Amino acid sequence: MVSVFLILGLISLGGMVYAGAPAKVIIGHPACLSGKYAKAGEQALGGIKACVKWVNEVYGGVKIGGKKVPLEYKYYDCESKKEVVTSLIERLITVDKVNVVFAPYSSGLTLSGAPVAEKYGMLYMDHGGASDRIFQQGFKYIVQTIGPGTRYHVGTLDMIHKVDPKAKRVALAYEDSEFARMVMRGAEEHAKKLGFKIVFKRTYPKGVTDLTPLLSDLKAAKPDFILGGGHFEDGQLFNRQMADLDINVKALSLIAAATLPAFYEALGNLAEGVMGPSHWEYGVKYSPEVARKEGLKWIGPTQDEFVKLFKEALGKDIMPDYHAAEAGAQVLAYVLAVEEANSIDPTKVRAALNTLKFMSFYGGWDVNETGKQVGHSMVDMQWQGGKRVIVWPPEAATGKLYYPMPTFAEKAKGKVAVPK
Amino acid sequence: MIWNQLAGNLTQGLILGGVYGMATMGLSLIFGVLRVVNVGHGAFVMVGAFVAFWLFTALGLTPIAAIPAALVVGMALGFLFFYSVMRRLVGAPELTSLLATFAMGIILEEVVKLIFGTEYRGYNWDVGRVDLSVTVLPWAKIYAFLGSVAIAVLLYLWFNKTRAGTAVRSVVEDSEGARVCGVNVGWIYALSFAIGIGLTVASGVLLTMFIPVGINPYMGGPYTLKAFVIAVLGGLASPYGAFFGGLIFGLIENGSYTLFALLPGAEPFALTRFLSFAILLLILLLKPTGLLGAKE
Repeated sequence: MVSVFLILGLISLGGMVYAGAPAKVIIGHPACLSGKYAKAGEQALGGIKACVKWVNEVYGGVKIGGKKVPLEYKYYDCESKKEVVTSLIERLITVDKVNVVFAPYSSGLTLSGAPVAEKYGMLYMDHGGASDRIFQQGFKYIVQTIGPGTRYHVGTLDMIHKVDPKAKRVALAYEDSEFARMVMRGAEEHAKKLGFKIVFKRTYPKGVTDLTPLLSDLKAAKPDFILGGGHFEDGQLFNRQMADLDINVKALSLIAAATLPAFYEALGNLAEGVMGPSHWEYGVKYSPEVARKEGLKWIGPTQDEFVKLFKEALGKDIMPDYHAAEAGAQVLAYVLAVEEANSIDPTKVRAALNTLKFMSFYGGWDVNETGKQVGHSMVDMQWQGGKRVIVWPPEAATGKLYYPMPTFAEKAKGKVAVPK
Repeated sequence: MIWNQLAGNLTQGLILGGVYGMATMGLSLIFGVLRVVNVGHGAFVMVGAFVAFWLFTALGLTPIAAIPAALVVGMALGFLFFYSVMRRLVGAPELTSLLATFAMGIILEEVVKLIFGTEYRGYNWDVGRVDLSVTVLPWAKIYAFLGSVAIAVLLYLWFNKTRAGTAVRSVVEDSEGARVCGVNVGWIYALSFAIGIGLTVASGVLLTMFIPVGINPYMGGPYTLKAFVIAVLGGLASPYGAFFGGLIFGLIENGSYTLFALLPGAEPFALTRFLSFAILLLILLLKPTGLLGAKE
């Protein structure tokens, strides 16, 4: 009889140990490794791998039930397609038995995968979907690391309002996508609040190959500055065709595209003075000391350690951009939440994420009750002499703003946007 | 004011339409001779864009010099794909050749991705611009238009003034009859496929003269869609019809933008797309062989 109890006791103890501390914690990810978001997807992959390596090798693993458990990263190529995203999430949950799903890049793809994760009660972490609409659907298991789209151009408008109170005429021209529409809505609301006059407001379709009709009309509206963009190729096209039509304004800020090195490589001098809002830029001043001053917990590699890990993870000598940083920071958020919940149960981890506040190389992290990111501040960068310089907000700036930006005729003669 | 904008947009539309037309001629030629719809069309346009990009950035060659190079690269690819894949599929069910060309497109995209990566690339060939008062036109765009017209004229002369061109026309008309008359139909299929692909790859160079940015392995998709609309507009089996179809498409797309912008609250780009496809449907219903296509 005693031996029966002993055996039952050992089985239940074994079960408790298993339930509390699994052999590993698996992150599943339908990554955009090919298709239209392959560039951002590669960055996200590098960012996640870098932080997984940091957690396993520097941090020692995720602490659950008093035991340090390694992270495993399981990913497949979603080809930047919605139908592939949904089937891969099913596979990751039902076949690979992952403990959390990281959403693919872009608002559209993130939104398409959310109902599948929700169906299985699986935690779904969003590092690349900025549309506020994602958090208006009533999903319970989605949590955001990237900042919401409506905030993208808020800092840019504040900056121009401060440096040039006479600049009143703003043109808004964004891609007709889930994400860019949200950015436009936020920019429009904030511009009106600051007293700007919106003299032009239009969208252009995804995959656009010629913006001259829109830009010709925009030129006729005579704006002081332009806010716009959507993703990558359209941003390059926007800047290039502004040059072709000789449209000169005091400031141009383009979302997504302008922050990438490829933007300057493709456009050369034509990109001088162009700005872009960014979630993270190399040179930001987040550190354990800053975290301590703000009363926040610090976790993760320093900025330079992250860059080194990122390059090792991809095996390429390329710099991480904000797509990499936000994906990496998401790994750190998940690790802290699992440790706080002392469990890998998605419902418990989701609850822990609701109260989590911390700082990493990416900056602050905090979400509201819908899972929307509210703790992360954006910065504005500007191309100056072929380099990305953070020009706003003043507390994060690594250089002065060059304003107004050079005309295209001046750029053709070699003028750069470097302040004296 | 509005007339100035309309004139400006129509000028831009005409120039771009010429390049679109040139980009569709290869698709129409291949369909005309082999009855194969090349759904991998956009990937071949992409190869041309990379040829222009690479020759400019690595060797300092202008895009004008890249046009013959792209034609040669395209024809080589055309022969390669014909003898390795398409030869076995001539006369096969439509779905088979459709899938084969789709696969060719994906293979090309992934090979280019392996070589160049996924960055959006571009080059900056600035040869100045001309101010027409209603719009500003960079000389690079004007050269692209002139290049498209020149290639269309050369193709016309080749078709009508050479023995090989006559042989191609005879195969289009009646392949069995041509065979009986001693035409090497297999070779004509190969040559037509290679020229069709060559023209498509060369059109990629011309497109980068219009839009020298956003060069990426997956850039071809929108061009495939536009090429199908233009091909149906001009006559799917007629390369010259495709050229004029491109001009009409460019004029409709850019001209209608200005007019739709007059509607309060409208998003003109969305409406230009609606109009393009509405016209496509109308043509399919009223004249299925295209505006300039011959009777079946």
